[in-house]
Amino acid sequence: MSAQLLFAALVAGSLYALVALGLNLVYGTLRLLNIAHGDLVMIGAYVSFWMLSLFGLPPVLSIFVAAALCGGFGWVIYVGMFRKLLATPALAQRLEANSLILFYGVSVILQNCVALAFTSTARGYQYLNEVHKFAGIAASGNRLMLFGVALALCLGMLLFLRFHLFGWSLRAVIERRDAAAVVGVDVDRVQMVTICIGFAIAGVAGVLVSMTEQITPFMGFPFTIAAFVVIVLGGLGNIFAGIVAGFALGFIETFGVALTSATYRSILIYGLFVGVLLLRPQGLFGKAIKIR
Amino acid sequence: MSGPIEPLLAVKGLSSGYGPVTILREIDIEAAPGSVTALVGANGAGKTTLMKTIAGLIPAWTGEIRFDGQDITRAATHHRVDQGIVLVPEGRMVFALLSVEQNLRLGAIAPRARKNVSERLEDTFRRFPRLHERKGQLAGSMSGGEQQMLAIGRGLMAKPRIILLDEPTLGLAPIMVKQVFAVIEDLRKDGYTILLSEQNSRLALEIADYGYILENGRVQLSGPGPELVDMPDVRRLYLGR
Repeated sequence: MSAQLLFAALVAGSLYALVALGLNLVYGTLRLLNIAHGDLVMIGAYVSFWMLSLFGLPPVLSIFVAAALCGGFGWVIYVGMFRKLLATPALAQRLEANSLILFYGVSVILQNCVALAFTSTARGYQYLNEVHKFAGIAASGNRLMLFGVALALCLGMLLFLRFHLFGWSLRAVIERRDAAAVVGVDVDRVQMVTICIGFAIAGVAGVLVSMTEQITPFMGFPFTIAAFVVIVLGGLGNIFAGIVAGFALGFIETFGVALTSATYRSILIYGLFVGVLLLRPQGLFGKAIKIR
Repeated sequence: MSGPIEPLLAVKGLSSGYGPVTILREIDIEAAPGSVTALVGANGAGKTTLMKTIAGLIPAWTGEIRFDGQDITRAATHHRVDQGIVLVPEGRMVFALLSVEQNLRLGAIAPRARKNVSERLEDTFRRFPRLHERKGQLAGSMSGGEQQMLAIGRGLMAKPRIILLDEPTLGLAPIMVKQVFAVIEDLRKDGYTILLSEQNSRLALEIADYGYILENGRVQLSGPGPELVDMPDVRRLYLGR
């Protein structure tokens, strides 16, 4: 029983960590509040569904299609909307607040375009749903794959940020854009690449979700909320803490629901959100850094 | 110093500022290769604005900036770094959440500086043994003086052809001020070209080959550093004696 719950919590946690990772990267480097992030998850889910239905392409390969499509969308958004705004200091200052409204528009457009094209009927498919039994756990293949891919991407990103020069320049831009430019970092390029990576990660998360749940054009919003809860828990722009917080949310949700009932799920998540904002607005793991 | 030697950096008629506020008005300065050029003047005279405009963090409104004969007035900051114009900014601006070594290696991110990074890192550690001792530590956990050394070291990693040292002694204890000036002397000996902005006018002018006194965004006086120090008006108005 409890091993089973533990597995469920890990699966949920890895998905939250992955979805929030993309949001956190985009917020950290560009200071954009991407309220359409969950809708990119939805796009990824539809890519997976149609690739399998139309071309028989399995989700394990659709991952790359969804990453390319959503990453490309990130590029279009950056080049088309944000590059000029970010380059002008006066506009960039207001952009953080304005981005919320801009992305709300993007969110509505994405949801309704998909609803128009594919109707709002819930859809689903069967993939890797044979059950594996080990160590007292019954785990479906698709959940194991979800966990494996999400964990690998999160760890891969952490290693990249820790050991790669581009990863350091990304962290430099998160910490201080002006100082990154002083050192010689091409800030514009870092921002463009980061928004592509962030959006691509959301698309991949969508593929993973679609293997285990039914999908609709309006499935994205709960993911947006969950991702915001996670990055507020971890501290905005703090990538490592965000991943830890993703797993924390998975555990709190899974065990909380098991101890109470499914009707308390939203109360748990929103309660946690409000509680953290009231008691520790810098995030559970955030600490005030003194810069001398 | 100017005259027969072609200046490495030449600023002509430069104006800039923030939003509607004009800070620099028609500034002309030059820096000869291998020299230390000092910018001195009171707080708010425009020293940091001039440094930031030369580095490309603030756009120039009028005038031009030439580096090694090339017009770089409109070049992006990272392109200027790649050409060798390296700012060591006021307030250090080290990356508090990166380690000392990561800060230094990131300093070599400009394409021109990407070769032989490890050798240059060794050189930098030799110049600043303290940084070597602390290479794994987060930069934000170091003292102000150590962070200043890190900021200079990070600048050296970019293979600078000119170092813009902006207020390197601001907020430092007197003993650290001495050390920073010793570092500047060392850098000059090693052939670096330095543009130094300092509130500590006397110290700066004493070591400078050439100095500019800024007031309200204009060049008020200029001349060889030691000569400026000896001028009675300068002593009275700017050196507090």
